[in-house]
Amino acid sequence: MNPSPTKSRGRIVKRLAVTAAVIFTGWHLFASFLWIAPPSALRNVVPGDALSEYMIPMFGQSWSVFAPEPINGDYYLDVRAIVDDNGEEEVTDWVRATDVEQSLATYRPFPPRAAKLAVAQASSLRGEWHGLNADQQAVVELNYYKDGDWSDRLEAALSDYSEEPEELEDYLQEEQRATAYATQVAQAVWGEGVTRVQFQVARQDVIPWGQRNDPSAQRPEIQPVPVGWRGVVIQEHQSQDAFADYFCSAPEEVCVADEG
Amino acid sequence: MKAEDQVSDETRTDSRKEAGSGAGALRPVLRDNARNVVRRATSLLSNVEEALTGSYKATYGIAVTRILMGFTGLGLLLTNFNSRHYTFGVGSAWNGEINQPTSDFPQMWIFSLFHQVAATPWLFTLLYIALAGLAIVVMLGWRTRVVLPFYLIFWISFIEVNDVAGDQGDNAYRMFLLAMLFTNSSMRWSLDSRRRRRRKERAPRPIAQKYQWAPVTAHNLALVVLAFQVCAIYVSGGLYKAGGDPWAHGYAIYDPLQTAQFGTWPVLSDLLTTWGPLVVLMTWGSLTFQIAFPFLLFNKYTKIVALLGILSFHLAIGLLMGLPWFSLTMIAVDAIFVRDRSYRRVAEIFKRLCGRSNELKDPRVYQYKWPDNRKEIALSLKGVTHELNQSRAPR
Repeated sequence: MNPSPTKSRGRIVKRLAVTAAVIFTGWHLFASFLWIAPPSALRNVVPGDALSEYMIPMFGQSWSVFAPEPINGDYYLDVRAIVDDNGEEEVTDWVRATDVEQSLATYRPFPPRAAKLAVAQASSLRGEWHGLNADQQAVVELNYYKDGDWSDRLEAALSDYSEEPEELEDYLQEEQRATAYATQVAQAVWGEGVTRVQFQVARQDVIPWGQRNDPSAQRPEIQPVPVGWRGVVIQEHQSQDAFADYFCSAPEEVCVADEG
Repeated sequence: MKAEDQVSDETRTDSRKEAGSGAGALRPVLRDNARNVVRRATSLLSNVEEALTGSYKATYGIAVTRILMGFTGLGLLLTNFNSRHYTFGVGSAWNGEINQPTSDFPQMWIFSLFHQVAATPWLFTLLYIALAGLAIVVMLGWRTRVVLPFYLIFWISFIEVNDVAGDQGDNAYRMFLLAMLFTNSSMRWSLDSRRRRRRKERAPRPIAQKYQWAPVTAHNLALVVLAFQVCAIYVSGGLYKAGGDPWAHGYAIYDPLQTAQFGTWPVLSDLLTTWGPLVVLMTWGSLTFQIAFPFLLFNKYTKIVALLGILSFHLAIGLLMGLPWFSLTMIAVDAIFVRDRSYRRVAEIFKRLCGRSNELKDPRVYQYKWPDNRKEIALSLKGVTHELNQSRAPR
């Protein structure tokens, strides 16, 4: 019983296609394996940057979360402002924005992603701040808010202490984000009269494992990132209402501004 | 036949070499051995080919994956609906994403839709609701082959609008969905399958039947990719952790549970972490289940242990650490490791519990009852035996 020529041609087509699909799948698994595993010399078998070209962005992933050590501290983002109250400038108290957002997640089975925005901002600003040298950290601690060109002056001052000014870009970007966020918080909490803001990012470790059942145990000292006063920053397209409506709906009530 | 001839030629050359040392008697043995090896290799290959191209595997499992993935997407959208502008839209313009996106995806036109409308609240809301609608359609399995690619594109476009709001669960979700495009995920428990059942009378087109191997192969290879991806996540996650002191000394889960971000139920966190030995068990248990997961899958009984273990691991993460959608994404794909047979049994039990009788529709249910006319059954049984004998007859 000989198969007809069309039948055997069909079989060849099938086998070729299946083999090609299997080879491609094999490549995908191998590439994924190389990408997920820690970088090793085995990556050299893939020529050039074919591996990252293939994996990024579609298969971008990292599974070293909580490894080798899980997170063991909280990030805080505190905000205070100078409010113009009929020509009289008043310095407000600090408000912990991270607590406000976090209160939207605590004891809720399905927390909104909004709950971690300030925490993420605090964490990334602190990360970039650690990349500054001591002189630059001292500059950051100074106040920059006068006139419209304060951010340019800040950048220039930081550049004076920098060998490679490009490295500053990441820090400045995070500072701008944090200042813009602080502006939104300040306006949500104290209203439109905000003329200057100051934020403080900090980290505080949890009570160490060994002392967890000790009622007198205190959390370790807070580790602040000192940043001076800044002018208000409002990004294009920013809706103050969209921010304030949700921020002020949090169980942790901080918005005191008289809406009427 | 050709391959076998070639190999026996080789053995002949080999035996000629050895003939000098008086090993001529080995010749037929070697030839037989070589033939045997080739025969086994060919039969193994054709078994693999049959497994890969013959029939859809894990059809119920992938249906469960589809339903849970749709549910995850819908749940994530609903629980972030009130904060949509605060997290993704005009309320979050302070992070600069609207002007210059951080993620690669919004910069590719195919995934840029939500980024483009982020600054227009009403349009953003409209698309947000449309995406939730698509998630429901995916859950229901309506025109899945067409809907799923659109859902994937819109989903990526949405979730990457604010990079900082995301987590690794988004990466898993995206890669799983992409692999699912190649599967026949609406073969069971879907509106698609109901429609196909109703139209059964209409014979399938011969061309579709002839190339049936193509979607089947794609489906089965995609299952391999999904299984590998899940196992790689668990094993690498476990191995990366294993080197850390808090994991080695068994208290690692205490630390994140004490933070505000990953300890969303402070009283529960305190309760669970007070007694040291329990913390060590949970810490080491999660490590063990992650690293051992793929190896436990090889055996039927250890597989049950693996799936139950990893399920409780995810439920704990989902509830205690405030990461329900990440957990559900992983659970969704773990569903492919349960066999079709098990799902069918569960479905039967469920149907019986619900008191839904499908006896008239589904003749298979009849076989549990002793029918009134035994003669007819006996005859049909005879017919089956006859058919079986025929199919077993040597070709």
